[in-house]
Amino acid sequence: MTKRAKLEIVKDMLLTIKDESNSIKSTPLLRKSNLSSMRFKGYLSELIEKSFVKEGTNKKGEKIISLTDRGFKFLEKYKTIIDFIEEFEL
Amino acid sequence: MSPPLNFVALGFGAEIIYSFVIIVCSLMIYFGTREVYELSSYKGIKYFRQAFLFFAIAYFFRSFIKFVLSYFNIREILDFAPMLIGELSLFLFIYFSSMAMFYLLYSVMWKKWNGNSKKIYLFHLLALVISIVSVLLRNSYVYLILNLLLLIFIIFSFYIVHKDSKKKKNNLYATYVLLFIFWVLNVIDILLPDFLQNTQLFIYLISSGIFLAILYKTLKKAGSD
Repeated sequence: MTKRAKLEIVKDMLLTIKDESNSIKSTPLLRKSNLSSMRFKGYLSELIEKSFVKEGTNKKGEKIISLTDRGFKFLEKYKTIIDFIEEFEL
Repeated sequence: MSPPLNFVALGFGAEIIYSFVIIVCSLMIYFGTREVYELSSYKGIKYFRQAFLFFAIAYFFRSFIKFVLSYFNIREILDFAPMLIGELSLFLFIYFSSMAMFYLLYSVMWKKWNGNSKKIYLFHLLALVISIVSVLLRNSYVYLILNLLLLIFIIFSFYIVHKDSKKKKNNLYATYVLLFIFWVLNVIDILLPDFLQNTQLFIYLISSGIFLAILYKTLKKAGSD
């Protein structure tokens, strides 16, 4: 799997969280990500490590995942990043 | 005896302005792409940025360091060991500019080389050998053949990438090839001052133009403010 595909997966995961009013539990996120459980865990850890998402709790006390400002920034810049990679054939 | 470095053909001033343009363009490319790299952690962007950082360092050693020493009146160092400063600047210029070209090559080839980052150490070694051979031998034929082989290797690698590319109409391929040719001319210009004496201004102008074009394209695509 290339990094380009990896960037797409990251974008899709972040977009899913954003579309769910920036608050989603990990099980529906796993389902909507179309990834194996192992790969999902890896991606989620990476997203937390890179401060794209954060874990918290909702009013019911359930664990939820939401985007950080950096996560929103990534989504905002995603097309620019992909265009840049394609333009310079990187 | 000829001077250790080519100060004279167009004057020190022209060389300083030229180096300054290349350094500023390279640093603007490096810092202008910081955000896209920090967000994506994409290796291709990393190597692309490294290439221009190395260009900036190379041109600093090419002549800007002499300007700094002169401007701040640190003439004693130049007077004390002019040959040593000349040879050292030349060595560092060739090493860093060779690495800049290798990083540029690596930025488009890393996927084909399966992201094997160990290759970059080979390039460091190769750049080191090229610098040592160039400074020690100062033999124009050896140097020309060495650079010609390197140029053919780099252009061939780029051709392979371009051939498989989905984007057949890409002006960047031509820009990269021009950049490689002018890299060789620049190094020949500094190593063999008499070889390209009459075309020095032309080389400076075209090289600056290529860097400005890449800067414009980079900042436009990176969405820098």
